[in-house]
Amino acid sequence: MKKVAPASPPASDDRNRDPQPPPNRGPQKSDFMPGPLALIAELTHRCPLHCVYCSNPLQMKPRTEELSTATWIDVFKQAANLGALQLDLTGGEPLARADLTELIAAARSAKLYTNLITSGIGLTPERFDALVRAGLDHIQISFQDSQAAQGDEFAGTTAHEKKLAIAAAIKKHRIGFTLNFVVHRGNLVRLEEMIALAENLGAQKVEIAHVQYYGWATENRAALLPTRLQLDRSLEIIQAAEARLRGRLRVDYVVPDYYARYPKACMGGWGRKLMLIDPSGEALPCHAARVIPNLHFENVTKRPLEWIWQESESFQKFRGEDWMQEPCRTCDRRTIDFGGCRCQALLLAGDAALTDPVCSLSPKHDLVTAITDRSNFPATHALASSSESTLVTPSWIYRPNPS
Amino acid sequence: MPRPSPDSKPRLAPGCRLSDAPTQQATLLMPEGALKLRGPGLQILRSCDGQHTLAEIVATLQSQFRQADPKKVESDTTEFLEQLNARRAVDFE
Repeated sequence: MKKVAPASPPASDDRNRDPQPPPNRGPQKSDFMPGPLALIAELTHRCPLHCVYCSNPLQMKPRTEELSTATWIDVFKQAANLGALQLDLTGGEPLARADLTELIAAARSAKLYTNLITSGIGLTPERFDALVRAGLDHIQISFQDSQAAQGDEFAGTTAHEKKLAIAAAIKKHRIGFTLNFVVHRGNLVRLEEMIALAENLGAQKVEIAHVQYYGWATENRAALLPTRLQLDRSLEIIQAAEARLRGRLRVDYVVPDYYARYPKACMGGWGRKLMLIDPSGEALPCHAARVIPNLHFENVTKRPLEWIWQESESFQKFRGEDWMQEPCRTCDRRTIDFGGCRCQALLLAGDAALTDPVCSLSPKHDLVTAITDRSNFPATHALASSSESTLVTPSWIYRPNPS
Repeated sequence: MPRPSPDSKPRLAPGCRLSDAPTQQATLLMPEGALKLRGPGLQILRSCDGQHTLAEIVATLQSQFRQADPKKVESDTTEFLEQLNARRAVDFE
């Protein structure tokens, strides 16, 4: 927690105190930057699922480029030394790494809280026992739907029944257990069933996350974006569930930012709280950051983590407020949402330094309204344009597997 | 939600633990979150082992903080644990 800035600068010999920024100014590039709170390790892009909204980049890293066990372990130790408390092990499917148990044990020895984000496919009760013995703190299992037929359609493979089977094995251990549902136009009608499934499987937390439009989700956006009516109904269901389940099942809800008034504080601010390492060791300030042109990302096999966090161009690029344009530059919310998502500004408006167009204050907000209008008034748009119709069954673009 | 009974035994929920890193400030780690602990928060959570009742935890604090109003110690402790219960970080067993 930052202290309030004093009227006079601190004495130069007082090295234990944070350098104090002048009043009325947010953190700037030159200020001391605390280390990341959490490290997100994308262990692999390989995955047995082919979800139509996968957030992995369109250009995935092949197995041959994946980091070795020893390099990952070294990265975990460096992150812990920088002050990171938590480690998210994700992918692709992290279980596709045969060394996952070893990685978890090493992360726990480095005093990190270990969180496995998985589809559950590839997990047996025996392997799960081994992960728990290695020190796994928390497991998050994704479900694509409450119903097998629909879930398997969105995942592009047969997965739902296997997930149900492994969830039963998880309940036998005293370990943090979250169920994650990515929700969209095609499954919101079963939101109450999804929450009931999390209750029945004995999870402590259910995460209901609207699709975010990056990676493969952008390819399927017309079929995934919910209507305003669906969104309003889902909010009612969430509020009722929160009240009913308080103290038993925590309900976390991620809003669809195309319908939000203000943008999300993407990654808690660029280079401010989180660091993501991709399967090949590239350090990214955000999952989707590679879409931003002319930005060079450092690799952990070439540079120490601390240097990448503190000094690298990519982590400094949108840190603080120097890069901001109007309306962000003078907006009171700039210390709350940090201008929104840089990748979304690039994807929607072609410039990563603009205000996130999902913000109602953005001069480019009509770009987002045009997209949501197509979802809310499909008949009008189907008549106007025969090429883009959401009235028919969607033909999904599935995420493939990297070589 | 009903208030926890004084006889209930608070316990850190699955997936929640106190940080064991010697260099870190006392921290409650939980799925996708961490809570820096100050004052008696750490002591309260250390007693949330499923062995001590809420009444026992409160009584210990009341005897330690003799200058404080015992009623306030009780209500602050209960509220602290209720808030953590709503986040699914503490169970009342």
